[in-house]
Amino acid sequence: MTGFVLSRLARMPLIAFGVLTIIFAIFKAVPGDEAQMMAGATASQADIDLLRVRLGLDRPVLEQYATRMLGLLSGDLGYSSTFRGNPLPHILARLPATLALAASAILVTILVGIPAGVVAAARQGSAVDLAISFAVVALLAIPNFWLGLLLIFVLSVEWGLLPSFGFSGWASLAMPTAALSARLIALVARMTRGVVIEELAKDYVRTARAKGMGGGAVLTRHVLRNAMIPTVTVIGLQMGYLLGGSVVVERLFAWPGLGDLMVNAIGARDFTLVQAITVVFVLGFLAINLVVELLYAAINPRLRHG
Amino acid sequence: MLRRTALSLLSGAAIAPLAGWRDAIAQAAPGRTLTYGQSTRVTALDPAQGAFATYPGGYEVGYCMFDRLVDFDADLRIVPGLATRWEVAADVMSVRFTLRKGVTFHDGTAFDAAAVKFNVERLMDRERTPTNRPLWDVVAGVEVVDAETVVVRTKAPFSQILNSFAHGSGSIVSPASVARHGEKGVAQNPVGAGPFMLESFVPGQEVVLKAFPGYWGGRPATERLAFKFIAEAATRVAALRTGSVDIVDSVPVQLVAGLRREAGIDVIARPGLRPLGLAINLSAAPFDDVRVRQALNHAVPVRQIAERVFFGFAKASDSPLAFDTQGYKRAGEYEFSPDKAKALLAQAGWTPGAGGKLQKGGQPLKLRMLASEGLFPGDVSIAEICQRAFQQVGIEAEIRKVEGGAYWGELRRERKALDFDVAFFGFNPSNASGLYHLESLFKSNADDNGKLDVWNIGRYRNARVDELLARANATPDLAGQNALLGEVQKIVWDEAPYVWLHVNENVTAVRKGVTGVEVWPIVFTIPRRAGA
Repeated sequence: MTGFVLSRLARMPLIAFGVLTIIFAIFKAVPGDEAQMMAGATASQADIDLLRVRLGLDRPVLEQYATRMLGLLSGDLGYSSTFRGNPLPHILARLPATLALAASAILVTILVGIPAGVVAAARQGSAVDLAISFAVVALLAIPNFWLGLLLIFVLSVEWGLLPSFGFSGWASLAMPTAALSARLIALVARMTRGVVIEELAKDYVRTARAKGMGGGAVLTRHVLRNAMIPTVTVIGLQMGYLLGGSVVVERLFAWPGLGDLMVNAIGARDFTLVQAITVVFVLGFLAINLVVELLYAAINPRLRHG
Repeated sequence: MLRRTALSLLSGAAIAPLAGWRDAIAQAAPGRTLTYGQSTRVTALDPAQGAFATYPGGYEVGYCMFDRLVDFDADLRIVPGLATRWEVAADVMSVRFTLRKGVTFHDGTAFDAAAVKFNVERLMDRERTPTNRPLWDVVAGVEVVDAETVVVRTKAPFSQILNSFAHGSGSIVSPASVARHGEKGVAQNPVGAGPFMLESFVPGQEVVLKAFPGYWGGRPATERLAFKFIAEAATRVAALRTGSVDIVDSVPVQLVAGLRREAGIDVIARPGLRPLGLAINLSAAPFDDVRVRQALNHAVPVRQIAERVFFGFAKASDSPLAFDTQGYKRAGEYEFSPDKAKALLAQAGWTPGAGGKLQKGGQPLKLRMLASEGLFPGDVSIAEICQRAFQQVGIEAEIRKVEGGAYWGELRRERKALDFDVAFFGFNPSNASGLYHLESLFKSNADDNGKLDVWNIGRYRNARVDELLARANATPDLAGQNALLGEVQKIVWDEAPYVWLHVNENVTAVRKGVTGVEVWPIVFTIPRRAGA
């Protein structure tokens, strides 16, 4: 078990390195120049050339690549034109906000999505099932941007219940969490319902019932445990969506996280910043994958690694 | 160092109860903190080293915490700042500033001629300050005459020198603070001599300023100014409507009508300094023919664009300069008339062929338009309207859209690599000078085949224009300067190196009762005199 975790951890830097290489290649292939963006719309060619030298953009591409990667190894991220210096402190300062939003969205997803799916499956075909299925379709169809706007309009502007933007206490988490988790809740509820229905038709359920076990106990002690594997997979996969979706939601709610910073960095061709945020995202994603695999093992002993 | 720590501890202990009391008052009277929801993030607050990083966000904060030798008023006229008087030499090669007495920076150090010399030399250094070069490259040196007098010399006649000093990058930083925080540290620890001083700064997120008690101009009308970054326009407007911010900038024009109906909100709209247009690539036929270019100008329904796309928050141009730019003079009008366009094209030899499409010697009249996506307000819609308008007079027009980050590079290519006949462009003269604007766009490039010197995209070349611009630079009096600029505007307008379009209005909204918010035509919303 420990060996498994260690080997996965050892792989992380390699994968991060690979992703950075690909991103670097994309950045060099896409037209647009960080020096031009930094110099501003009124700059002369001489200004831009000066900045290109200063940012090292006049060097051969391979040399730029080598400089970046060697710099990263020694812990030097490089010069971010957005922050006019080292971006690391700014990224670290924003990381908690993005993590808090992602964690809260996942928590809400689990607390709402799984029970909703189980209830719908247990009462298959009933009015409750129908209502839940309808909600699932609705939540999948609504874009999170629009849902967010609607929430702001109703809960902040009209009713004055919640702060409309930024972070000013835990109440600020409510609307971004709702906007971010809506789609996830729907996906998880749908998946859970499907799997639970499937499991309920299996032999072991009949056996358990035959030996006199109550419906509720069968559901929680046998069915749910088996149904959790695909559900955990879905949640794990959707964490990627969560990082991407958080870009839109963070921007809408002026959330002080990394997502919006990333979009702006791409627009400004601030490769240093993009690279730094990418490292954070990639490591985060790999960590989530690792946790998902460990959860598999916890849920199903047959999946435990040597 | 030890002494400073001891001192600050002492003073801290002395005012701590007072500060607590003042905080309590601030809490009790929320009007004392004014909050501005900005559309652009603030990441650095050093006028050198890359100048406030973001436009307009960083500059708006800069104008509240720093003073300059001279300043702009809300109409962009030059008014006294840290200098009470100035004399521009007859040869326009130097300016002598008489400095205000008894001014201190936020850190308690005195402002004097040495501080001015220190600051100007920071700005002259291209390595240290790679941005805003057109404003500072011309400066040759600073001479301290006495503690209250400095003379700034230029390498060539430069009549816009006062505009450079009033520009945000001319903000005067405390030299002691640079020594203390280091060259790279100023951006996060800015110390000026302006009406507000830094209280807290989370780059990219929030800046809080508090009134500087020792300000020479008296106490500001509000105790605190908070600048919060809210990227999304709908969120900014919602924040204003809930009352969690007092001021928002960059209100989308389609939301203005709704806001105007709200009792608690005032809308401030003001035309900007950036005229939009289609820069014409003059390198190749048929667009080297002035009649063809004038025809393009007659073909586009500019007034309709202003009214329909911008709900009236835009005005059709009547000069290469925007209406509020220093030196602006009305130059003429191209009436919207497809018939006139067709007649001019016919004079140039383009006659209708099959299906009304224009041709000359069997060749169709084609026009390739380059449009940015989201770089200028309404760029894609306007490009599509222009395309339709050109088609209606028989020109085969096609659009190529380019994402914002890549767009500038497309415009800056060498002449033979230019891949458009007309390209969307707008220039915002950030020092408010019409001379700067006209020089940047219409002064001949050193080499028409090379890259652009500044922004003469279409390779416009007119010896008379070059001469008039040089004379304007060497003319000390404003009236004489403006007469020369007026002539340039007329020549350029008539020669039509652009399809002239319109000037947008910048829209800011404030909570009713908030007074003194200035909306400057250079896209700045300046709350330094705001109160509630």
